[in-house]
Amino acid sequence: MRNAECGMRSGEGEAPAEPVQLRSGSNLEKLLRGEEFVVCGEMSPPQSVDSASIAKKCAYFKGFVDAVNLTDNQTAIVRMSSVMSSYFALSGGVEPIMQMTCRDRNRLAMQSDILGAYAAGIRNILCLTGDHMRFGNHPDAKGVFDLDATQLIQMVKQMRDEKKFLCGEEMKQEPRLFIGGAANPSGEPFEMRVLNLAKKIAAGADFIQTQPVFDVPGFEKWMNAVRDEGMDKEVFILAGVMPVRSVKALLYMKESVPGMRIAPEYVKRLEPITEKEAAMEEGVKIAVEIMKQLREIPGVAGIHIMPVMWESITPRLVEEAGFLPRPEVPEDESNGQ
Amino acid sequence: MSKTSESIASFCQRHPRLHACALLAENAIKIPVFRCQDCGQCILSYTGFTCPMRCPKQMRNGPCGGTSEEGRCEVYPERRCIWWLIYRRAKWMGRVNKLRRLQGPADRRLEHTSAWLNVFAGKIEPPSWGKD
Repeated sequence: MRNAECGMRSGEGEAPAEPVQLRSGSNLEKLLRGEEFVVCGEMSPPQSVDSASIAKKCAYFKGFVDAVNLTDNQTAIVRMSSVMSSYFALSGGVEPIMQMTCRDRNRLAMQSDILGAYAAGIRNILCLTGDHMRFGNHPDAKGVFDLDATQLIQMVKQMRDEKKFLCGEEMKQEPRLFIGGAANPSGEPFEMRVLNLAKKIAAGADFIQTQPVFDVPGFEKWMNAVRDEGMDKEVFILAGVMPVRSVKALLYMKESVPGMRIAPEYVKRLEPITEKEAAMEEGVKIAVEIMKQLREIPGVAGIHIMPVMWESITPRLVEEAGFLPRPEVPEDESNGQ
Repeated sequence: MSKTSESIASFCQRHPRLHACALLAENAIKIPVFRCQDCGQCILSYTGFTCPMRCPKQMRNGPCGGTSEEGRCEVYPERRCIWWLIYRRAKWMGRVNKLRRLQGPADRRLEHTSAWLNVFAGKIEPPSWGKD
């Protein structure tokens, strides 16, 4: 048994800890509060009505990860909605983490989708601001941005814990979601990144997923600051890992994805490899090394694998990094759902 | 705010020409000095006196994940990230802790209305003048 609230433990000689107080009762929450090191995956919904493809992709995640993110029009490119994709993923036997961005919906639509998602069985939400329309296939679209990610986190928390809509009206049955936010450990200025994380925690985030880490010492520096402020005790931090298939992919991220820091050693390792299969092998090797290093950093509660357009590599990454078998979800002993 | 100032402000808000004069006076200062975006819910005193609504994503609580290492905006790289500017200015002014304040969702009904009148009429919180 563990004491309640984000990783606090009962020590020896103390009174037995109270049962874990679950905020949502999701499998992801049960594992994190049970102090298991979690592994999350990520799936891009189809750019069509092909819901069967979601079920097919679930095979790459079932038994290999504890939960799977379903992205929400990532990179501002239209895909099947994350609410419905999460529902299909749930039917496919995996625990979905529904991503919700602020770019495409106003506060009414967001609350509406949150109610529907919970009713459909979804129990985890990742609150994001969203990539700007400029990067996607509809750059002429209006960006809504009625709320920002921090306000979305606060709104979901109010719906869950106070049973109130954003306007203050009460609701009869509330959506008990496990609330996540995103963090970028390598953005500038550094102090602002730490402050931003503190605000998301204050707003009500239960867990945080970071951008992909390609600079482990830089990530350790961020984690040092996070631990100094005690934030690792208040929120579960899942470090991001992205396997790359070539030096071109890595350089693209270095040059074109703002806020991403890439250690030169990984570029040097991939650059001389010209053969496609060999480059993929080296990319997998790098990802596995990073996963193992991140596991050792105090305060990191799990890994979030982001295999963009390469979901099939997930089982191999999890196995080679030594994260199998995945833990069983504990029985619900608390007043969760 | 006193009852008198609240009454005067509410009166001005109910009369379009008076409101327009107040907005003109406010914008005459705030647009050149702060590049005010006319949200009507000014939080300049919490953001190093730099308008966060200049952000292409209108982030009122902090930056998105896309600020470059040089402090450039992800969407418009020719510009600085507004939150990069906000942090630097807040630090210079000794107002960094004010950035920690959670800013709730903007009331969109107040767009293009006078924030000064909104303060006196009690529709929004007054500025926080003191340092950290």
